[in-house]
Amino acid sequence: MEIKKTMQELLALLRTEPSISNQIVHWETIEEKEAVTGGIPDSLHSHIRKALEDRGVTSLYSHQLSAFQTSLEGNSFVAVTPTASGKTLCYNLPVLQEIANHPDSRALYLFPTKALAQDQKAEMNEFINAIELDIKSYTYDGDTPANIRQVVRKAGNIVMTNPDMLHSAILPHHTKWVSLFENLKYIVIDELHTYRGVFGSHVANVIRRLKRICSFYGSNPLFICTSATIANPKDLAETLTGSPMKLIDNNGAPSGRKHFIFYNPPVVNKPLNVRKSATLEARDLAGYFLKNKIQTIVFARSRVRVEILLTYLQELAKKEYGMKSIQGYRGGYLPTQRRAIERGLRNGEIMGVVSTNALELGVDIGQLHACILTGYPGSIASAWQQAGRAGRRQDESVVIMVASSSPMDQYIVSQPEYFFDRSPESARINPENLIILVDHVKCAAYELPFGEGDTFGEVKIEDILEFLTEEQVLHHQGKRYFWMNDSFPAHNISLRSASQENVVIVDQSDVANVRIIGEMDRFSSMTLLHEEAIYLHQGVQYQVEKLDYEEKKAYVREVDVDYFTDANLAVSLKVLEIDKNTVLEGQERAFGEVTVNAMATIFKKIKFETHENIGSGPIYLPEEELHTSATWLEFDRKAFDDVAESSMEQGLIGIANVLKNVAPLFVMCDPSDLHVVPQIKAVHSDKPTIFLYDRYPGGIGLSENVYKIWDTVISEAYRVIDTCPCESGCPSCTGTMLEGENAKDLSLKLLKKVRRDHHVDAVQTESF
Amino acid sequence: MSMQSKLNRFKKHLVSEKKAPLAKAPPVQDLEHGETWASFETSPYYYEDAFCLIREVCYPLNHRWGRYSFEELKEVMEGWKQAGDGHPLSSGQLAPSDLLFFDTETTGLSGGAGNTIFLLGHSQVKEQEVRVKQYFLPGPGAEIAMYHYFLTQVKELKNLVTYNGKSFDWPQVKTRHTLIRDFVPSLPAFGHFDLLHGSRRLWKSSLESVRLSVVEKEILDVKREHDTPGYLAPMLYFQYLKNNDPELVKGVMTHNEWDVLSLITLYIHISKLLQGSGAQMSSVEQYESARWYEAVGQHDLALQKYSALLETENSYSRLAKKAAAALYKKQKREDLAVPLWEELCQDALQNDETPFIELSKWYEHQQKDAQKALHFAEAAYGVWKNKKRLLKRTEEKEKAALVNRIQRLRKKCELC
Repeated sequence: MEIKKTMQELLALLRTEPSISNQIVHWETIEEKEAVTGGIPDSLHSHIRKALEDRGVTSLYSHQLSAFQTSLEGNSFVAVTPTASGKTLCYNLPVLQEIANHPDSRALYLFPTKALAQDQKAEMNEFINAIELDIKSYTYDGDTPANIRQVVRKAGNIVMTNPDMLHSAILPHHTKWVSLFENLKYIVIDELHTYRGVFGSHVANVIRRLKRICSFYGSNPLFICTSATIANPKDLAETLTGSPMKLIDNNGAPSGRKHFIFYNPPVVNKPLNVRKSATLEARDLAGYFLKNKIQTIVFARSRVRVEILLTYLQELAKKEYGMKSIQGYRGGYLPTQRRAIERGLRNGEIMGVVSTNALELGVDIGQLHACILTGYPGSIASAWQQAGRAGRRQDESVVIMVASSSPMDQYIVSQPEYFFDRSPESARINPENLIILVDHVKCAAYELPFGEGDTFGEVKIEDILEFLTEEQVLHHQGKRYFWMNDSFPAHNISLRSASQENVVIVDQSDVANVRIIGEMDRFSSMTLLHEEAIYLHQGVQYQVEKLDYEEKKAYVREVDVDYFTDANLAVSLKVLEIDKNTVLEGQERAFGEVTVNAMATIFKKIKFETHENIGSGPIYLPEEELHTSATWLEFDRKAFDDVAESSMEQGLIGIANVLKNVAPLFVMCDPSDLHVVPQIKAVHSDKPTIFLYDRYPGGIGLSENVYKIWDTVISEAYRVIDTCPCESGCPSCTGTMLEGENAKDLSLKLLKKVRRDHHVDAVQTESF
Repeated sequence: MSMQSKLNRFKKHLVSEKKAPLAKAPPVQDLEHGETWASFETSPYYYEDAFCLIREVCYPLNHRWGRYSFEELKEVMEGWKQAGDGHPLSSGQLAPSDLLFFDTETTGLSGGAGNTIFLLGHSQVKEQEVRVKQYFLPGPGAEIAMYHYFLTQVKELKNLVTYNGKSFDWPQVKTRHTLIRDFVPSLPAFGHFDLLHGSRRLWKSSLESVRLSVVEKEILDVKREHDTPGYLAPMLYFQYLKNNDPELVKGVMTHNEWDVLSLITLYIHISKLLQGSGAQMSSVEQYESARWYEAVGQHDLALQKYSALLETENSYSRLAKKAAAALYKKQKREDLAVPLWEELCQDALQNDETPFIELSKWYEHQQKDAQKALHFAEAAYGVWKNKKRLLKRTEEKEKAALVNRIQRLRKKCELC
């Protein structure tokens, strides 16, 4: 085949052409894998078997068989399924089998987004038609018309929805869904790995509510979860659903030979260690493939970068294949648009797709030959998900990750073994976060009264019920707690946002058509939505004209300027309580509760290309307070008596800059979820300290995890700074420093004393 | 840190609900203030380990409530008997006591499972008197008792008369009933006359809002004194739960009592408008009731109403003429429609091309007179040109249709 040959030639070119091969820092070849299959089980309903056979399916992959078997045995399970391994059959077969045998049975499918649910409905309905049984499957979301809603409630065998809808529309109105809840046999949770952090912690509580309602109506459904590869699928599924799970990880889908290449762009400014733009490099690499008729997908981290890449590649491909041969892909595409892209890829009309991480979420647009990641997507799991877009079952494929200058990217490309040898991150949730928990106890009480001694999931909630009674939200009568308030609690609680009190962003560019374009938590709004701030939304610049802090509204207008704004936040941090601590030589590590007080002070206008400061102004906003959990590393001043106070401070700032990027790698979270604050004299101890705190009130377990793995985090931070090719600190490690200070040496000096590489095991047991 | 102190630390993040401003007293299971209740025609009814409170008040039949006395219900229902089932608000062959005028008071406005009904009230016009009956929930644990008595005492729910009950009160009753369905009789089949729909049709254009209180005041002449506004009901009830003082909810119960009485007057009034029997109707009421009959397919009755409007000069004559002509056309009685269209065309003040188009169609297809048809089509175009339009797309469509018609007719004329 011609394409195959061209691919091989290109691989050779990558190896030999010096301008490329010199930048390749790692080349990993993953050998092909044969399919592991078994025959279609005899117990499968004859109609379903026939529908499969009509589609040419005469055997099932090993993981699909295990899934079917496990559900027949009456067990909940989580199946780990890489991209394009036929995961939908893992849940559709058990569900359809159940409904085919018992037509009254119902199933509830939860997808993290509306688009995914609609995608799956289309696929499901095709399959149902082929089965030729009267099975009804519907989506239920904000777009479902009122007249259809009634039909879905009364007669939908399969209801496909999202957690937000379940939370605010289905559970509070459960009396309208009696026949669903009475006959609910399966709850399917697709894309399990996306339920982490604040969102996952909320959803775990929504599922507690769901199970409560099910048991009220006398049903006890099984859970079927599917997940991308993460370190702890079983643990996450069990915490999320509160049910015991079987783990199915015997993926039997075949895969072709795959080359995974780390590409580090050349350094253009040696002293500052600034590299050539990853976007431009990705653009050139994609050009090589596209020119040779190799179907390529390019991932970029932001929408703006998608647009830049798209424009360039379309220009490049215009002459040869036509503009339409390169398509952009953004979140929120309709199923028909996706089908068109899919079709175009299959018949060769489309050569390339440029996408944000929207595609990471299971939306299937078919497989391509080459995949280029513009920058490290932030987690091992996401990187593998994106890489999974390249690689057909028979052909050879290539994935190139182009590193940006950020410390996180530089860390990854310089430590390939971190990426290839380490199991992907664990996804953590903390359903016991007090604020999230209390929110959902309220919703649950609205849905059904609590009895004395009732638990919520496994949690004892007597104290919370008493507290809410005192606050006159609940009424305690007899042995029960009743909702007794005129509000509708679910409407005040958003599963996706970091705080209840969000600032709504109102675009008033078009006076006749004022619209809301987004929302942001109050804490972040201080530095991003203050008056005169330039706010970027989907690649468009807006200037904030007014921030109504009382009413929680920011009024913005579209502008076109060549600068961005950067605000200073004065943060003070107080330790309220130390829950755990470890005293070691020259240092102390602790975990506990803190109050963070933050006040925005001034902002600067910074010119795009040159980063010149072209103006500044004051910010007048009240101080914000955040109670949360934090972990901190305290340096014993005595052990560093040879370090001057100002140097100590520079060192701390340098380390903090690296921790900001490295710690999220190990606790699998977005860098903005975990803040790092260095203090030369911590208020509670007067000692030089670096704090890491959870950005969500009450904490969601991130800093607690960091506390458990301080040794790893410190060693890795040391390694990042040590192996960075810069001379005295650069944006890729400690950040740029004041003239005359060698932040690199200072940071390394401090870290060397607290690093304990040889005692990893000992410390981990100690810290529990 | 203990859970208690944590809860207090995070208080700001945890509670955004409004509080009722009253100190807490221990909840009590037994009836307190029995005498106060008794003097308010209210007594406890025990069921298993709880009780609900039931209040009964009677009014003589000749008692006047706003524009009418209650006994006039009999007359309008007699009227419906003769008119038959042609209108959705018709009570057909029912007797006055079959109608149950029904309203609830709830702890909130949202339609979810946690919104509790604490008062079910209804009125009924009996042979001898008008009887108001109210079922009050003395605490959330007493729902089974309340619904038990409500459902066993009110066997017939087939003929509820409500105000917005179709989308609020009744679904809410169903919701609360679902929560305790294993312990109380099942909900009987129900039928519904929702007077909100009618009020909206008749008075939407003339009243600032069609809330029952506004309709009462502006249309029904019901004057309330010392009324407790409905929006205070949840707050007062929450306070009542704290200290069981009947004085707190008496006002809410009276408010509900007056609501279910006003529903009787409202039903009488709307029936009279629809039956066209004596009530002094404004032209908008006449026009809207004609449209209502038209909407439910009662074309003859609609035409009667439209024709009545044409007898006097009023601001609705033109609309009525147009509607009547369209109905005649639908019934293939063009002979009656044509004079109306002609009258409309002569009205120089109105710039409406549609009667011209209708006449053009009539001359072209029925009379086979292409010349006259062309004359009216061109006249229609003349009127249309002078009109101001908002939507570009409609404008283009209309123009194309007119131009086509004129061209076709010109061709026809040439052929003759």
